[in-house]
Amino acid sequence: MKKKVMSLALASVMAASLAACGGGGQDPTTAAAKEDSTATTAAQAEKSDDSGEEAPAGGEGSLVYWSMWEATEPQGQAIQEAVNKFTEDTGIAVDLQFKGRTGIREGLQPALDAGTNIDLFDEDIDRVNTTWGQYLMDLEDLAKAADYEATANAGLIAACREVGGGSLKSIPYQPNVFAFFYNQAIFDEAGVTEVPKTWEELDAACAKIKEAGYTPITCDDAYIVCMFGYHMCRLVGEPKTEEIVKGGLWDEAAVMSTAEAYADFAAKGYFSDTIASNVWPAGQNQELAMGTAAMYLNGSWLPNEVKDMAGDDFVWGCFSYPEVEGGTDGTDAANYGAQVLAINKDSKNAENAFQLICYITKGEFDKKLSDMSIGIPADSTNSEWPELIACVKPVMDSMTIRYPWAAGAEANADMTPIIKENFLSLCGGTLDAQGFVDALKKAGN
Amino acid sequence: MKRNKGMIIAFLAPAVSIFAVIFLYPIVRTIIMSFFKIDGITDPVSKWQFTGLANFTKLANTSLFRTSMWNLFRIWLIGGLIVMSLALLFAVIITSGIRFKSFFRAVIYLPNIVSAVALATMWLQYVYSPKFGLLKSVFSNLGLTSLAKIQWLDNEHKFMALLLAYCFGMVGYHMLIFASGIERISYDYFEAATLDGANKLNQFRYITMPLLKGVFRTNITMWSVTSVGFFVWSQLFSTVTADTQTITPMVYMYMQIFGAGNSVTERNSGLGAAIGVLLSICVVAIFWLCNHLLKDDDLEF
Repeated sequence: MKKKVMSLALASVMAASLAACGGGGQDPTTAAAKEDSTATTAAQAEKSDDSGEEAPAGGEGSLVYWSMWEATEPQGQAIQEAVNKFTEDTGIAVDLQFKGRTGIREGLQPALDAGTNIDLFDEDIDRVNTTWGQYLMDLEDLAKAADYEATANAGLIAACREVGGGSLKSIPYQPNVFAFFYNQAIFDEAGVTEVPKTWEELDAACAKIKEAGYTPITCDDAYIVCMFGYHMCRLVGEPKTEEIVKGGLWDEAAVMSTAEAYADFAAKGYFSDTIASNVWPAGQNQELAMGTAAMYLNGSWLPNEVKDMAGDDFVWGCFSYPEVEGGTDGTDAANYGAQVLAINKDSKNAENAFQLICYITKGEFDKKLSDMSIGIPADSTNSEWPELIACVKPVMDSMTIRYPWAAGAEANADMTPIIKENFLSLCGGTLDAQGFVDALKKAGN
Repeated sequence: MKRNKGMIIAFLAPAVSIFAVIFLYPIVRTIIMSFFKIDGITDPVSKWQFTGLANFTKLANTSLFRTSMWNLFRIWLIGGLIVMSLALLFAVIITSGIRFKSFFRAVIYLPNIVSAVALATMWLQYVYSPKFGLLKSVFSNLGLTSLAKIQWLDNEHKFMALLLAYCFGMVGYHMLIFASGIERISYDYFEAATLDGANKLNQFRYITMPLLKGVFRTNITMWSVTSVGFFVWSQLFSTVTADTQTITPMVYMYMQIFGAGNSVTERNSGLGAAIGVLLSICVVAIFWLCNHLLKDDDLEF
């Protein structure tokens, strides 16, 4: 008898699980994605209990939001708070799914192609507008209706329009800028009173810092190609740099000039002794944050990344990559941008989604995001920046020309590792300028 | 016994159809994709552009891909020699009746249950650190200053650094397979050989080795399959952007399908598929070679 009861129970469990698998007419991708989700608002959970099988999870007008952050990161936590408040105020449930960097990069497009119900998502400005451009809704009307631009950073909105092919298809938040970050205490001790604006001034500053017993510049393998890119761009501008990198035009004079400038710095001992073997984050953590190296070319997220190691007394400074004599670009050009939020063109709840975007990128929660992640606020009325990155404001405000990531030096995926290898050797002093150019030419494309 | 065709079909159909959907379809689709230029991996077929063998010729002409294949070959050969020798040595020691056998077995296997991310961080930020690394301290204490000065993660040494760290984690797994193979051999053979005056070395050479042929084949095939899929360690040793010393075909494939580093680069899933096809051919070739070179059907025990 017991066996019979047991077998009946097991059979019913099996049948129920099978029915659950096939039931609801839900897209399998959505189901898989939901399993992967790390956060669902309480309101959504409550609502989905009494919603019918065919109704979208969370009820009419509810939103599905795929985020590039992890739930445990400050950015993820701030966004979660904004979403909770949004749901509390409006009654609109939000299925917030933290996918992480690789999760969204690998999974978003297949999910959208499979028709997964995703109303809004976020990622880097260039990837959203370029790689996923075909999935974006035009936000001009929604932005106009909400008078969004009245309190937005004009430069970033312009950048979004530029990469969006002329119209606004994404909303920036968590802005960032790429520049030299330095340890003010070392600058003071070495007697460097003004930030370098030209390559010669940087040379002089490095000499003083070295004289004072510190390493002037350090870097990690992950960012070393950026130094090459910025120098090239200062000399010939970004479009030309990209043309050289993509076309393999290594005979261009700018390549040799860049190599010579860095070989000269290497010969003068301005780079860290271990620059050729610094695997990220060794340079930024063990040298810059620990106070043995003075400068590091990186994004404005750097102070946040190393804050626990650098300590409370670390005073940050920031300056744009210096001008180079005879070059085309000045210090007003850099990779500045933001993460952006975008709405799926097939979303049926675009207005709700835009309302949520306003919650995240305006006022209270923009401030919270900025404070929690030590990031730059997106709302122009949030004029008070976190103290650690207050030094970035003049640099950010001075920007007029926008470079893509690494100033275009990483535009050719087949060449990036080769440039990286040889530039590391150049900075490490084991390769001279001619050797650097020859190695790039030999690798071809 | 009378064969009931209906029954055969009914029982085979689920397995065959699942095999066709889950294995056959992706294989066929990948092979077809390798002849097209495809931006997004889930782009509809209408967006595919037929390019013939262009993907394969592009791969052959790209120095970075050739470097990645060379790295893979080095990982497979050098790493394989290191891992197989150590695994066999440890397996022989462990099965030789030493005390605390389980303890040693567990210790050697331990790296397998630790996350690769944690292991790689340990190697990168501690063992190889040129500032306070384990290797630097050990060599400094031994007075070997020239060895202590070596930057293990620069271009000249990064590949070996990666290989060493990877092999460290792989020995235990293959040791277990060898050990189980050795334990399968009856003790009678060794006893008889001992009585006949054979020493341990001769016993290993004339009894253990020939009877382990099948296990060798298994281990080499397993090693080849995991080597071809070499990805995580490569990514961990070169975060954000790939590195000439650590790039493998799988990393190159990822760059082609999902974009490289933080930049928005050109994507081509067709090229990725072509790499998949090439790697599959490599595995099949190795498997075929192993099957022909290591025949173990001439011995029964």
